[in-house]
Amino acid sequence: MLFSVNDKFEHEFTVTEKVYATFIATFNDCNPLHIDDAFAQAKGFNSKVMHGNILGGFLSYFIGECLPTKDVIIHSQQLSFTNAVYLNNTLRFVATVIEVYESVSTVVFKFSFTNQEGKVACKGKIQIGII
Amino acid sequence: MERVEILENVKAVFIDVLDNEDIELSDETTAKDVDDWDSLNHIQLIVGIEKKFKIRFTSQEIQSWKNVGEMLNAIQAKL
Repeated sequence: MLFSVNDKFEHEFTVTEKVYATFIATFNDCNPLHIDDAFAQAKGFNSKVMHGNILGGFLSYFIGECLPTKDVIIHSQQLSFTNAVYLNNTLRFVATVIEVYESVSTVVFKFSFTNQEGKVACKGKIQIGII
Repeated sequence: MERVEILENVKAVFIDVLDNEDIELSDETTAKDVDDWDSLNHIQLIVGIEKKFKIRFTSQEIQSWKNVGEMLNAIQAKL
């Protein structure tokens, strides 16, 4: 098995204007919280809030491109959003292997995205298979 | 752990993973007898069973099972 419990992986992601615009152009989620600064501020946020599933996209990139093998498939994932992410925020991503199932070539990671202020913006678990 | 208790715990994993309260398992049950017991769900079933009983199998072990009864025997041997 290529992975062991406590193996740790790190990456840095930035929610650039291009990422944000592409997400909206692709999925068309134009809820005012995501596109209207005044609306978002009236709801208590600093400015428009980035879509949580942009981080889901970063997670997909991590699994697909950053692991020591490309022979992977995502079985399941669970994300909790704990702090808002704003345009141009840079997030430190850390994933740690917490479970390995050699019998079915399956690995479970816990992960977190932490913003520049040290606050966790998103955390969760993801289970992948080695195919 | 008694075999009947192992069976009940395995059945609970099947019900959770396959989201089907009506599942019944016996020693003779195979994947063909259970709706949605396909290759992807098989992975989730094995993960659920290994987690539930805090045991680990090898790929050779699980590939040798011909039915639920052989799965229960393998679980019992590790407890």
